[in-house]
Amino acid sequence: MSLAKVTWQGVWTMAQHEARLRLRSGRWRLLLGLWFVVVTGFTLLVQQAVRRTYSTSDDRGIVVYGVLVLFVLGLALLVVPSLTGQSVNGDRERGTLATLQVTLLSAPEIALGKLLAAWGTSLVFVLLTVPAMLLTMTQGGVPLGRLAVVGLVLVLLLGVVAALALCLSALLSRTTTSGVLSYLVVFALCLGTLISFGLALQLTNERYQETFTNECPPRELLVRDGVPPEEIERILATCGSTETYDSTRSREDKVWWLLAPNPFVILADAAPQLPPLSAAEQRRREQLQQQGVYVQDLRDADPLGGIGREVRGLRSGPGDERPGGPVWPYGLAFDVLLAVGAVWLTARRLRAPSRVLPRGQRVA
Amino acid sequence: MSGDGVCATGVRRSFGEVEAVRGIDLTARPGEVTALVGPNGAGKTTLLLVLATLLVPDAGEVRVAGFDPVREPREVRARMGWSPDVFGLYDNLTCREYLLFVAAAMRLPSAAGARRADELLELAHLTDKGHQPVHTLSRGQKQRLGLMRALVHDPEVLLLDEPASGLDPRSRVELRTLLRALAGQGKALLVSSHLLGDLEELADRVVFVDRGATVGEHAIDALPANTAAHPWRLRALDTDLLLAALARGGLAHGDPTPAGVDVQLTSDQAAAELLASLVRDGVPVVSCQPVGGHLEAAYLELTR
Repeated sequence: MSLAKVTWQGVWTMAQHEARLRLRSGRWRLLLGLWFVVVTGFTLLVQQAVRRTYSTSDDRGIVVYGVLVLFVLGLALLVVPSLTGQSVNGDRERGTLATLQVTLLSAPEIALGKLLAAWGTSLVFVLLTVPAMLLTMTQGGVPLGRLAVVGLVLVLLLGVVAALALCLSALLSRTTTSGVLSYLVVFALCLGTLISFGLALQLTNERYQETFTNECPPRELLVRDGVPPEEIERILATCGSTETYDSTRSREDKVWWLLAPNPFVILADAAPQLPPLSAAEQRRREQLQQQGVYVQDLRDADPLGGIGREVRGLRSGPGDERPGGPVWPYGLAFDVLLAVGAVWLTARRLRAPSRVLPRGQRVA
Repeated sequence: MSGDGVCATGVRRSFGEVEAVRGIDLTARPGEVTALVGPNGAGKTTLLLVLATLLVPDAGEVRVAGFDPVREPREVRARMGWSPDVFGLYDNLTCREYLLFVAAAMRLPSAAGARRADELLELAHLTDKGHQPVHTLSRGQKQRLGLMRALVHDPEVLLLDEPASGLDPRSRVELRTLLRALAGQGKALLVSSHLLGDLEELADRVVFVDRGATVGEHAIDALPANTAAHPWRLRALDTDLLLAALARGGLAHGDPTPAGVDVQLTSDQAAAELLASLVRDGVPVVSCQPVGGHLEAAYLELTR
């Protein structure tokens, strides 16, 4: 079979059509309005809470922004599967798929067009969070680079979820089944990774020997502390020996990768580290402190940085003092590959003429 | 337009245990309307799916507009229009948007697509509905819009599965006229339908299929003689005179109805002789025709 042709014009025709159908059905204005109100309201509440907790800080934006981004990701993960969860089998049910397949749009064009439409729709949701994001910028401390990278990763992750849901709608004949399954996939990415990490961690438990050396304290120190002479002799006679204990430990560095596909982990770890305080800022804070005003450093309370440090810490093995490398490139690469595979599978299922039909399914 | 029409030989296709098509041969020539006739489950729809580049046949040679639907589906799609028996339209689009989308999907430049959409709306008498959403259309209007979809790229081969189902009598007459005109342009039309009366006036040739196989392929004016006794309907100005004459001739007949009196005859020859004798006897005969038309008679004979 010849390689199917993919043209931008074909993909765009399909995407436009799909987006138009989507906009015409359903109460989009209501849904988008609701989204905007929820996200903005949430941000205002978080801002108030953070203001109360860290009343003397100048970079509260770091905390508010981190919380907001994780919240938006969670909310978007709930919305996106519904955008493509019934894309292909819904068309099949309505009897519009076969007439689409006999046009000059190739199967990959149909698959990519449908994905693009869903992805574009999810982008509208992301765009509606921009005002809330800008609001957090006014609270200070969030560098623009972080805003850009996090936004980009967020959009990529939503595309991944849309592709997975699209694939399920192509593989399964019933819209309800594919709808439920696409939510289960999101669940697997978010919680399944945590659960499997937790369980796999138990399997890495290993016995190891811990060695302690009993250091000898200086005699003068013991004398000064008023330790009785016979006791001093006893201590000095027994010290300096090494003792070994049998112990068990779990090896996070062997299973950290199980957490990598988690969208929250990817997003948090991908957020660029906050730059160190400038010398001037440091000096300013020290001066304030001398005047009795304590400026809290919220860089330690940064939710994104916190998750990032946590997962990177998992990568360093026992005795490894340096923190492990970043986790997100692996996770994002894995997820994107998953999405590419999903689109490929979708296109394959859309290919006509077909040899096999799922049981009880009509082509038309 | 020089086309190759449709040519299929020895097509087989089974779905698991079920052999839907097990040896269909047919040709549909350019400039002609070929009727595909057979009982439900005879494999008509499956065959059309094979021709429409949607199903791979298990065996057999198929050419649509000169191309192989399995190996060259793109070439076939560019030259073939297909309208399935059951299809969906996008309810929330307007008729015009729908046709414009199909035109874009058939890679027509947008100006040409817009022109074509307007032409087709006019052809389907839907010009005034162009800006209304599809879900406001009647069943017959939807059926017509579906047919226009198949015509967007001006295909040389048309595969129509039950195009007249759901149409009122006037729309059916219009559809017939339209399809004849398309054949007149040199297109090859393959039409499956149960409305044998319509097909008799529409088709040039007819292919009978039964239980997945071709059982006959004939020109419509050379249908095989039906040798079994089958009903003919006689109508006269004076039904009593007719009944009396039939009784004299010793012919069994059904109870008279407003539509006429049915008698069982074995051939056209027998009908001609009966008619001559009735006229000789002075019965004012108005009509004498096989019940359901010639096509139905041949159909009943072939698919027994």
